[in-house]
Amino acid sequence: MQVLLIGGFDIARTLAASLLKRKYQVTAVHPDYDCCRQLADIKGLQVIHGDGSKPFILEEAGARRTDIAIALTDSDADNLVICELCKKRFGVTKTVSVIKNAENTAFFRQMGVDAVVCATNTITGIIEQLAFVHDMTALVPVGDGRVSIAEVAIPEGAPAANKKLWEISLPREVIVGCILRKDQTLIPRGDTRILAGDSLVLLSSAHQETDAIRALTGR
Amino acid sequence: MDFFKAARRKDSGYTVIIGCGRLGASLANAISDREASVMMVDRDERAFRKLGTAYGGLTLTGDATDIAVLRSAQIERADTVVSVTNDDNTNIMVAQIARNVYHIPNVICRLYDPEREIVYKEFGIDTICPTVLSTREIDRLLGKSKEVKEA
Repeated sequence: MQVLLIGGFDIARTLAASLLKRKYQVTAVHPDYDCCRQLADIKGLQVIHGDGSKPFILEEAGARRTDIAIALTDSDADNLVICELCKKRFGVTKTVSVIKNAENTAFFRQMGVDAVVCATNTITGIIEQLAFVHDMTALVPVGDGRVSIAEVAIPEGAPAANKKLWEISLPREVIVGCILRKDQTLIPRGDTRILAGDSLVLLSSAHQETDAIRALTGR
Repeated sequence: MDFFKAARRKDSGYTVIIGCGRLGASLANAISDREASVMMVDRDERAFRKLGTAYGGLTLTGDATDIAVLRSAQIERADTVVSVTNDDNTNIMVAQIARNVYHIPNVICRLYDPEREIVYKEFGIDTICPTVLSTREIDRLLGKSKEVKEA
């Protein structure tokens, strides 16, 4: 599997290392020469110096043999053109673009970009979660952020501790999918008792997770 | 100059120009002189100095690849959108938003690099490429001087 990363120094570097570890063939394209030299320190990574929105640079980077192209530059316009060139001119199977302005998501999809990630929204979402909700170890957004999976620890003295699941009033759009108890994994039913020290895996929609966490932990 | 002729026929129209460089400003001045409505969008306020003192159109400061900015420019009302910033990719993106999201009848964009043609060709966006135009003109002048020599 051949992957092409265009622009975006820090993300490109981390992504390249992770993909190479999983045995993908990775090529990075970057317009800055110093960034290219640093990228070239990653073993096994092929690096091309140039503007990835130019067709001849993409050609040189092997866009014709590429399965997945990921546009990471900090300009939405550049990312759009990169994805369109990859798709239409070089027949890349899947294109992924990072965007700054979340409002452009629908437009990018309309223009044939397969996956659109709004970095700013994703990061602010995570920061909000971490800053305003305590004791949450992980929150994973699914389906464009409409649904989220959260892991919640139940401390001693929490409202949910030593209660059966049906005794706790959770928002309608939240279910407890799984209970992690020491090294055990329990799929709960209404009469399953929650103990202090458990970790609950919540599946929630429409941003109900904050209310659910409050009902469970009292915070 | 077909564009000027076409625009003169329907002076009631509304033109949105993106990019207040030399080309954008001179176009905006010309449209304003004909007393047709024109809106100039540039992300740098200082660029509007290039507009003439007699310029009677509107200006808006903002990044045109932000759909919200295009909405404030009332792009949906426009019958012509001209994208002439100094960045090809910005011009392509703005032209595609104008064509595919707002279905503007006339969309014109300037591109320095003709190689990216495949991206906009299929969308019915008219493009002008200074390199191609200059090449053609120089070629024509060379041809003429050759004729003179031969004659």
